[in-house]
Amino acid sequence: MPGESTSHVVGSPRRLAAILAADISGYSRLMGSDEEGTLARLKRHRREIIEPTIQEHYGRIIKTTGDGFLAMFDSPLEAVRCAIVIQQTMAARNTSLPPEQWIRYRIGVNLGDVIVDPDDIYGEGVNIAARLENLADPGGVFISGGVYEQIKNKLVCGYQSLGDEKLKNITDPVRIYRVLPDPAAVAKITRHRWSWAAAGITSLLILGAVGWSVMQPERTEGARQGAALDQPAGTTSAPASADPSRTGATSSARAALDTLPGMPPVPPPSSGTLPIPIVPTPPPSATDAGGPTVAAIPPPVKTPETGLGLRDCQGCPEMVRVPAGSFRMGSEEDSSEKPIHTVQITAFAIGRYPVTVAEWSRCVAAKACPDLARGEDMDPVRNLSWLDAQQYVVWLAQSTGLPYRLPSEAEWEYAARAGSSARYWWGERMAPRMANCKGCGDPYDPHQPLKVGSLSPNPFGLNDVNGGVAQWVADCWHPTYQGAPADGSAWTEPDCREHVLRGGSWRNDASYARSASRMHYDTGVRYPAHGLRVARSL
Amino acid sequence: MPAAFKARLAAIAAFSAVLLPLPEGPAQAQNPVPAQAPAAAQSSTPAQSTAPEDAVLYIIYPRDGQRIRGSFPVRFGLRNMGVTHAGDRTPNMGHHHLLVDTDEEIDPTEPIPTDRQHLHFGAGQTETRLDLPPGRHTLQLVLGDADHRPFRPLLVSKKVTVTVLPPRRTKPPQTSRAQR
Repeated sequence: MPGESTSHVVGSPRRLAAILAADISGYSRLMGSDEEGTLARLKRHRREIIEPTIQEHYGRIIKTTGDGFLAMFDSPLEAVRCAIVIQQTMAARNTSLPPEQWIRYRIGVNLGDVIVDPDDIYGEGVNIAARLENLADPGGVFISGGVYEQIKNKLVCGYQSLGDEKLKNITDPVRIYRVLPDPAAVAKITRHRWSWAAAGITSLLILGAVGWSVMQPERTEGARQGAALDQPAGTTSAPASADPSRTGATSSARAALDTLPGMPPVPPPSSGTLPIPIVPTPPPSATDAGGPTVAAIPPPVKTPETGLGLRDCQGCPEMVRVPAGSFRMGSEEDSSEKPIHTVQITAFAIGRYPVTVAEWSRCVAAKACPDLARGEDMDPVRNLSWLDAQQYVVWLAQSTGLPYRLPSEAEWEYAARAGSSARYWWGERMAPRMANCKGCGDPYDPHQPLKVGSLSPNPFGLNDVNGGVAQWVADCWHPTYQGAPADGSAWTEPDCREHVLRGGSWRNDASYARSASRMHYDTGVRYPAHGLRVARSL
Repeated sequence: MPAAFKARLAAIAAFSAVLLPLPEGPAQAQNPVPAQAPAAAQSSTPAQSTAPEDAVLYIIYPRDGQRIRGSFPVRFGLRNMGVTHAGDRTPNMGHHHLLVDTDEEIDPTEPIPTDRQHLHFGAGQTETRLDLPPGRHTLQLVLGDADHRPFRPLLVSKKVTVTVLPPRRTKPPQTSRAQR
């Protein structure tokens, strides 16, 4: 093992590692209400979500306990990414269940020196991770200052400083940050989770009154104002004014982060509602993209890594991993969406956004795609035929050496639903600021789609699956699902005259923006509302 | 949009500089490619294509008021103009769009929508087959130009009304076109 030292304990090398500790919140309650069901779901989650996700992030599980596990990573960045992916995937799984059956992990990540045994790890680094996990909110990720320092410029998330804490049986106070995968959620936290935050802060106060003495004085003034502004009437005001450092960084971070395309949402830890991300301020419009407030975060085009997404090259579309699973494809609303059938999907990666003008332009520059792109860099590329879309994915696959392709229709719907069986991933009804379609509310421009990422992402982290540009998929058009494959593959024949488009466009009404809605168009014909989203096998 | 164009040039230059570690020559040689962009951008917001005054668009079949059982063909008629595929900018040529049960005004400046009520025939088709649920339906043709925009003067057919009779045997109703 690299970096090991066997100077004092033979066979138990010491090394620096990122430790991820997780446990299930309310495990006893879950087991009490439905022991067998909980256990079965727990095992399935472990097999389908936790183990593969840890593996994908180059980590390994050290041990599992009844309701949790301990994992070790070489890189703190990978550890935090892994934590976010687990939380998001769990949130997606939970959406189809009543709140009392939700399984929600609390996760703590620490970077520290540990003693590695073949089947366990020891040391203060592990204990701190476990303490962080104890403090974390259900569905949340807490990290130590050491981890934060390593990842703050690499992983574009919101980080909410909770100040320095004296942890039980740990000598020195530990700085704690809450990870907010959706930067926009920083504002949400202070607005919507206030009662929870107040309760949490109160308990933190009791836990670690010592932490007060090491507050950051330069942060307090702005934070106090921000906290006071956001605080709804009638909630506890004492913790806010007494300990502003707990909400420190939020007000300044909010200004910087709200205007960016949102990262995927965290499930709300204490409310009983579905995890609907609420983006409280307008997204960047055509005129103020890259405005002054985004200075704290590098613009998406320039960063190879934003959020938990992956980018295989600079200028490649940002991808999100979609976990394996099965779902009910189709709906009863239109004959083309029947019969509803179960489809098995293997894990794959899909573009977080539709392909943008900037991304398309690289293919044009390589003389591999027709020069159709108009608009600005972050506009979705459009006026594409299926053949154009196919040309782009072929070029991307060749230039990266990775199996890029168009998603199958089943993969598209699975990714768009993100665990939901409702009409839209957030529920049965169109809601403000969720979709870019006709009559779906502002922001809306009848002449063009919104820039990618202007609206909330779904629990899998995909943006723009409801309206915007309709997206070509690999499948030939079939008027119904009679005879459709059940393994998630594309349903094709050679030389089919029409292919399928999914998601509806900004020119269609809300019924076309449903997760199950299907459209079709001549394979070789361009239309101004048609674009694409790429996929890639893992 | 000169600003947007400049930004794109810059972006492409940046991309090629960062991503394609090529010698100076090839990187500069790429400039002619984006230089075509203004032409493409302009073509997206052109003046409306004009149609000859004597052009006539009409539905050959079904006839107005016809009663039909099951799926039926629709045949498109066009006089004094030619049918071509979408994207073809030859003057006095266009492609068909069939409006089913649509009362919406046609916006002369926007591309004809595509949805369950606006069927496109961008490959230059001159007929289709419809399978509509029982009841009264209206059919109307609109000729679109290379960019799916209506011509000036607006070239539309008379709206015909057909009545689809209930099927003799049970069969799921279809609103989709493109039976194969």
